[in-house]
Amino acid sequence: MSEPPQLHSRRTLNLRFDIPISKTKEFWDALKRGKLVTTKCSKCGNITFPPQADCPRCMSSETEWVELGTEATLVTFTHVRVTPASFEGKGPYTIAIAELKDGLKVLAWLEGVDAEKAKPGLKVRVEARASGDGNPYYVFVPA
Amino acid sequence: MSRVAIVGIGHSRFGRRTDVNLGELAFESIKQAIDDAGVDKKDIGNVVVGSAGIWYEESLPAVVVDEYAGLSGAGTMRVEAACASGSAAVKAAYNSIASGETDVAMAVGVEKMTEVDTSTSVELIGRAGSYTWEFENYGMTFPAYYAMYAVSHMNRFGTTEEDLSRVSVKAHHYGALNPLAQFQKEISLEKALGSQVVSWPLKLYDACPLSDGSASVVLASEETAKKLTDTPIWIKGVGYSSDTANLSRRDDYVGLRAAVTAAKKAYAMAGVGPGDIDVATAHDCFTIAELMAYEDLGFCKKGEAAKMIRDGQTEIGGKIPVNLDGGLKAKGHPIGATGVSMAVEITKQLRGEAGRRQAPIKNGVGLVHNIGGTGHYAYVTVLSRD
Repeated sequence: MSEPPQLHSRRTLNLRFDIPISKTKEFWDALKRGKLVTTKCSKCGNITFPPQADCPRCMSSETEWVELGTEATLVTFTHVRVTPASFEGKGPYTIAIAELKDGLKVLAWLEGVDAEKAKPGLKVRVEARASGDGNPYYVFVPA
Repeated sequence: MSRVAIVGIGHSRFGRRTDVNLGELAFESIKQAIDDAGVDKKDIGNVVVGSAGIWYEESLPAVVVDEYAGLSGAGTMRVEAACASGSAAVKAAYNSIASGETDVAMAVGVEKMTEVDTSTSVELIGRAGSYTWEFENYGMTFPAYYAMYAVSHMNRFGTTEEDLSRVSVKAHHYGALNPLAQFQKEISLEKALGSQVVSWPLKLYDACPLSDGSASVVLASEETAKKLTDTPIWIKGVGYSSDTANLSRRDDYVGLRAAVTAAKKAYAMAGVGPGDIDVATAHDCFTIAELMAYEDLGFCKKGEAAKMIRDGQTEIGGKIPVNLDGGLKAKGHPIGATGVSMAVEITKQLRGEAGRRQAPIKNGVGLVHNIGGTGHYAYVTVLSRD
């Protein structure tokens, strides 16, 4: 069946965002040193992950950086086969959520585990990585 | 506060609609809804357009749609609550009447998702959460979000991939009876189970398609509704809630907290409970989402959704028939149109106009469950004949 006539627009958009990270710079710098840190509210003691400079519980802007342990337990996961356009050629990959010892949860890729061996309850650890263009990120690997 | 009724409904054919642009597509349901209501369009004080957008060329869909349908001059806005944008539009239109601002208002849901290529659509929906923390480095997709809930539900309650496929088989069964549905053919359990894995454990037949479509409702105050029609369908309860952008900040992955809260609020406002519901639409963007909806809405106990679908309790003749229009899976899911489409379906059911897929109506009460993102937004609406 042929498509009805369409105007193939000539005005294209190429969106690329410059995302401010000055308020979470400590996190990205620590990651480059292989450490996992996050924010703790100096007023109410609330610890948040992902880190944020303003406490979402008491709304204080006085926060400090604390180091988190990297040991974690897998909560859930999925094996992604159909990837987004900007991840073309990167798949398939496994995305997981794991819980750190203090109860905070983290979302990242799970690497180094056969697909059928991924199970809730699996012991993993958070490990720092750097992308091809030097941006730091983190993954889960078997503990 | 005035009582508010649905007095007119309209619905376009859903699917890959490369034959129409945004305004033309919206017009199809707007005209039907205005004709069905029998209102003069100059009496419509507020037109709320639910559309998530960014996959079509227009930046201001509300004014484009209004101009095309000759509604310019009315109060208008575009609302966004991801896949619950349609219900958010109904809620905003409802508010403008309940508050006494206007006597007649419209909610128009419209989406055109097939003007960009499929992998770009996958990308844009995958960004529907926390871009920096969950997309930039990890390439989340919409199926991936719900797949993580499916894995957790399967692990906790013994729900199986076959149970998920059963939801799809039911959707296609009723979709085959809906002339406006994107897919109008039955499928077998084997076909659903054997389909391509998109994000394990979810397969192609666990996922709603990318769709174009529009749906519209005309709402009126009690006094005006009674003049216009003998069969007003009253909006008795609207509950809404939200949850965190980051999936990592959720308490668990076996249900949607926002949906539970929204349902409680809607039931309380309407003065009804799950046992009073004759027929419902549940947000089945993925099969696991429909199963979680049964539990979140109190149609069954936590962990018992798989038993409900296995026992046929959500088919015609069962305890609460769900998604007799084919659901998002078979009817299609033009994101902003979906919530309005659900309100149209429940209105048809309560009016007794659903033909071969008509549910038995005992209490005259129906329910719309519409989720945005992965439980990021939740709207539950209770509709009633009285």
